[in-house]
Amino acid sequence: MHLVIDYKKCRKAAQCSYLHPELFKADQAGSPKVLVDHPGEELREAAEEAVELCPNGAISIVEDED
Amino acid sequence: MDTMISPDNLSTREVIANPYPAYQQLRDRSPFNYVDLPAGTVPGIEGPITSWALMKYPDVYGVLRDHERFSSARNPLVGKAFPPLVLILDDPPRHTRFRRLVNKTFTLKRIEALSPWITSVANELLDEAGRGEIEIVERYTIPLPVKVIARLLGIPGEDYETFKQWSDAFLSLASMDNDQRMASIQEMVGYFGKIAAARRTESAEDLITALVEAEVEGEKLEEWEILGFCMLLLIAGNETTTNLMGNLFNILAARPKLWEQLRSDRSLVDPVIEETLRYEGPVHRLSRVTTADVELSGVQIPAGEIVTVYFAAANRDPAEFLDPDEFRLDRDLRNHVAFGMGIHYCLGAPLARAEAKISLNAFLDRFPVIKPGQAPAVRQTMTPVVYGFERLPLMLDGEG
Repeated sequence: MHLVIDYKKCRKAAQCSYLHPELFKADQAGSPKVLVDHPGEELREAAEEAVELCPNGAISIVEDED
Repeated sequence: MDTMISPDNLSTREVIANPYPAYQQLRDRSPFNYVDLPAGTVPGIEGPITSWALMKYPDVYGVLRDHERFSSARNPLVGKAFPPLVLILDDPPRHTRFRRLVNKTFTLKRIEALSPWITSVANELLDEAGRGEIEIVERYTIPLPVKVIARLLGIPGEDYETFKQWSDAFLSLASMDNDQRMASIQEMVGYFGKIAAARRTESAEDLITALVEAEVEGEKLEEWEILGFCMLLLIAGNETTTNLMGNLFNILAARPKLWEQLRSDRSLVDPVIEETLRYEGPVHRLSRVTTADVELSGVQIPAGEIVTVYFAAANRDPAEFLDPDEFRLDRDLRNHVAFGMGIHYCLGAPLARAEAKISLNAFLDRFPVIKPGQAPAVRQTMTPVVYGFERLPLMLDGEG
């Protein structure tokens, strides 16, 4: 899987980087970056929670094609 | 031109009712130290409570993002003027654990699932209110959010007048007799204590049950933590959305053309709500305490000082928003700080947005015309924290 941020929806509330610093980092202006290109299955639960908890619905999981 | 406003008057009733001229005059001078609460307001603290006002967008944004140097937990008024509320008066790591516990009740998805029910409550309230001149605060903007938060918590929604009194008392630090205030808070604590006890005996599908059963790192929550949660959610879920909706409908009652546009193009509903949050948001200020010596806009602020974050002043900062005193839909509506930013970003933001959206659509469906009523509108002046109406009579009419 990989994580995609829709920057048109993102309002820089920085909830993703707060609750899941293992997956996201926000810069000084609050804009988040995904830290892990292809998170393994051990990070799936965290990734799903990040998707669920983004107050602006800006994060999604896209499954990789083999 | 407006008369000059002294910083020490920022918590007076005149400024609470109409704070924007003060923000405009004082923003460039901020950060500055001022008397936030006069001497004798807080029991156990003799002198006045002074604070540093932060009104510039970069200062406000920077402080909201920097929870390490700007603490929510070290507020000297906790335990004196307020019972210890969870989350809003917490720092990590406690804040993180509590936030995890309740986050899932307020996700976009959960709120979406609740929306049909909220819509039916909105329509019931409007059926009862009828048409013509309606005082919407009493008939609509108070009952809707209270009924919604009551359902999430799992308490009977019919008691909403009592809830409103409690949450008003909680916020009325500067305008209410302190014994009365504390008595009211005690009543609220007692009420939630009883409900929590009942849920321990018999669980239900609600947030209070979730709190009673929750374990954080293997330990159940303490009683005061559960009650602190309930009070926070009742107050935060209440005043904020009530005032957001009042401000929203007041703005629209003064803009008949925009109302017409909205009726024919509902894609404008979301932008109108976002611009309302920026232009006349419901929460105007909250405080933090510095944990280190800091410098903001070139001003040195020592450790241990209260700083007050003026969200609403930042949302009108001309350095961030072009023509900030105009209500415009053609701006980038994502940058306002009406819900805060960073770790304390409003937990209920998706719910507040949904309630405002459902309400605006329900009004648009019913009322071809919205105008100010004959009776005067009255701004609330009991607390500087929120901005909204005590009474807002509107003429809601036309066939439709």
